[in-house]
Amino acid sequence: MKTAFRAGASALAIALAAGAAFAQELQIENESWWQEAGARFDGVTLRGVTESTPPSNFISDVLAPKFEELTGIRVDVETTSWDQMYDKAIKDMEAGTGIYDMIYIEQDIVYAYLARDFLVNISQALEENPDLKAAGYAEENFTTFADNFRGEDGDLYGIPMEAFIKIYLYRTDLFGDEEIRAAFQEQTGRELEPAKTHEEYAEIAQFFTSWFQDKGEDVWGSTAQAHTGHPASWYEFFESVAPTFGVYNWGIDPDNNYAASVENGGTMNSDEAKEAMTWWLSMRDIAPPESVQSTWTEVATTFAAGRAAQGLVYGENAAWIATDDTKSRVVGNVGVALPPLAEGVMEAAESGEGYIGYYDGGAFGLPVTSKNQDASLLFLQFMALPEVQEEWAIAAPRITLDSTYDSPKVAELNEELGGYYDMLRDQGYLFKGAPAYPFHAQLREATAPIFYQILTGDLGVDEGLDQMAATAEQELSDLGYRQ
Amino acid sequence: MQSNRLGWILLAPSLLILFLFGVVPFLYVAWLSFHQWNPFAANPDIIYNGAENFRRLVFDAAFLASLGVTIAFVFFAVVSELILGYVLAQAFMKDFPGKAIFRTIHTLPLIMAPIIVGSIWKLMTTPSIGIIPNLLDTWFGLDLNIGQSAAAAFAVTVIMDVWHWTPLVTLTLIAALVSLPPDPFEQAQIDGANKRQIFWHITLPMIAPAVVATVFIRLMDALRTVDEVLMLTGGGPGSATRYLGVHIFKEVFPRTNYGYGSAISVIVLYLTIVACWLLYVSMLAPRNQK
Repeated sequence: MKTAFRAGASALAIALAAGAAFAQELQIENESWWQEAGARFDGVTLRGVTESTPPSNFISDVLAPKFEELTGIRVDVETTSWDQMYDKAIKDMEAGTGIYDMIYIEQDIVYAYLARDFLVNISQALEENPDLKAAGYAEENFTTFADNFRGEDGDLYGIPMEAFIKIYLYRTDLFGDEEIRAAFQEQTGRELEPAKTHEEYAEIAQFFTSWFQDKGEDVWGSTAQAHTGHPASWYEFFESVAPTFGVYNWGIDPDNNYAASVENGGTMNSDEAKEAMTWWLSMRDIAPPESVQSTWTEVATTFAAGRAAQGLVYGENAAWIATDDTKSRVVGNVGVALPPLAEGVMEAAESGEGYIGYYDGGAFGLPVTSKNQDASLLFLQFMALPEVQEEWAIAAPRITLDSTYDSPKVAELNEELGGYYDMLRDQGYLFKGAPAYPFHAQLREATAPIFYQILTGDLGVDEGLDQMAATAEQELSDLGYRQ
Repeated sequence: MQSNRLGWILLAPSLLILFLFGVVPFLYVAWLSFHQWNPFAANPDIIYNGAENFRRLVFDAAFLASLGVTIAFVFFAVVSELILGYVLAQAFMKDFPGKAIFRTIHTLPLIMAPIIVGSIWKLMTTPSIGIIPNLLDTWFGLDLNIGQSAAAAFAVTVIMDVWHWTPLVTLTLIAALVSLPPDPFEQAQIDGANKRQIFWHITLPMIAPAVVATVFIRLMDALRTVDEVLMLTGGGPGSATRYLGVHIFKEVFPRTNYGYGSAISVIVLYLTIVACWLLYVSMLAPRNQK
């Protein structure tokens, strides 16, 4: 008992010490301004709720204590699961209880929150309260990802705190192995390089699965985020795979009465969507067996465990997979590339008509129901100061300010990540977040049961996608968006 | 008169809490069930729609499928727990080496939160990585994949529930068995009754109230199972383990279909009451009439 207690206390002490060490490294400019600004909120405690992710943990462990040290304003950030976070935030704002002063807004939910007028217009609030405006904070410093959190008026309704793209991750040690390269060339007649097309990707995946199967090793040719009962699989298909086949916005045309079926002008059950689904399922079938139970987290751990040669992985996991040898077996052996694409998709993305994958991230928003809005505005600006960004980017691979790319530590990490940050900066514009739908979760949940049946094989690809398109249109009619 | 008033005063806090946290939410859910309300619809207002939600339920294939798998789940889980719980209770009535340790270990699952139970079983059953698929493959050449096989996922959820809740049944039945008077059993043995006859004609009738109470508790719990299953399978593969609790959760929380979700909740409450009443009538009412 005593030993367990000591171990627990030691772990807690190490965690606190790590947070404190980061906090000490943060040098905030104009400290006296923050002290003065905070003085008027003596005794105030801000409460936030967010998903438990590395970027959010940095807020609760490092930024919140530092902010309290400067201003005297206590900040309690509750980090919890994705489902719980939404449950708590939505209930609080819906009921108007005002428990939370800050809430995490994932890019795909912001449109629903804006439609319900849940959020404070931060640009306007700072303009109307110049005494609360911190000198180091500037909206124009944000990367273009911040545009996802702007309303129709162009104002900002959330302070971006994480941003990443879903990338094609591959094992450089396997792709560079001479024996493997020779065998691959002999079998396919071409060099083993990261795939640019779906055919190439499938060829590489099949090659690696067979190669390691023959050797009796547990390595497969691809990952697959293909859980048969969790929305992670739905997202992988509609936000990461379907766009690479030219199916955008989940196959729904918002400019055409939210049509989903081909019959009405949508693309959810188009030939391209069916081809995408067939291809993805074929990759799932040669992925590690746990793929049918994998969400985004398990895909990352599968890759980090060295069980896959390549795969689509959320960028928020790239840093620890590539650098943390306490959690990853593939440290130093990770390369990044753009996802494989069908013909014409890159051209469409470059012209702004399409996109090649998912640009995800989140912001901290200020609920209109908050009882401490002014104090919250201070903390939200604190999160966006240039001087806190470098350490934050090291602790979690996220960049929300343009200036962060140039900092020395980030440049160093970029090398270890195989150029991930370069890709985020230079080619991030080719990726796109979720479409601006206010019915995000509603549509997903209405169609997900059919989607899962396609994954289990209870429904064929053609029949399943046809049913999904019809169900999507019915749901949108029921919700009043489709006339 | 004075003691009566004092009694009500002492009861008042409990009654108030029960009213605020039990009756009021129920009335709110019942009221919502007659309305259409999705805060993320084009019209987010609460709109009265009469019995439309209940009419829709009757033709809702997803709800009916969920009801079907839930009934199967409840049947297999509760019956298994009852049989296993009785066997274990009888075993614990006797002395054997290590009994105290075994009884403690056997009771441990009871103190675990359902979400933890779901996490543990997820770790143990993850295809190709979990210990159970590994052992089944090594020993019997069986491929257990709860992400792909509906039957396997269903069976694992039942086994998980049995693992979690059998100790409750065991403890309840031990309490019932301990309280039985020895005379009828001695008399039956003198009269030459065998073990089966003693069980059917003496033990079972005498512990019937405890059995019914235990079945009531387990039936109500199993009908509203959410956390464990959501963590283990998410309701999948497909809709194979989308039990009513999970179905309601997905309707109400992610889909924010508050009106329709409330209607399902009311119906499930009604079905639970009916099931318990039928059980009571079939098992205890004839006995009481005698």
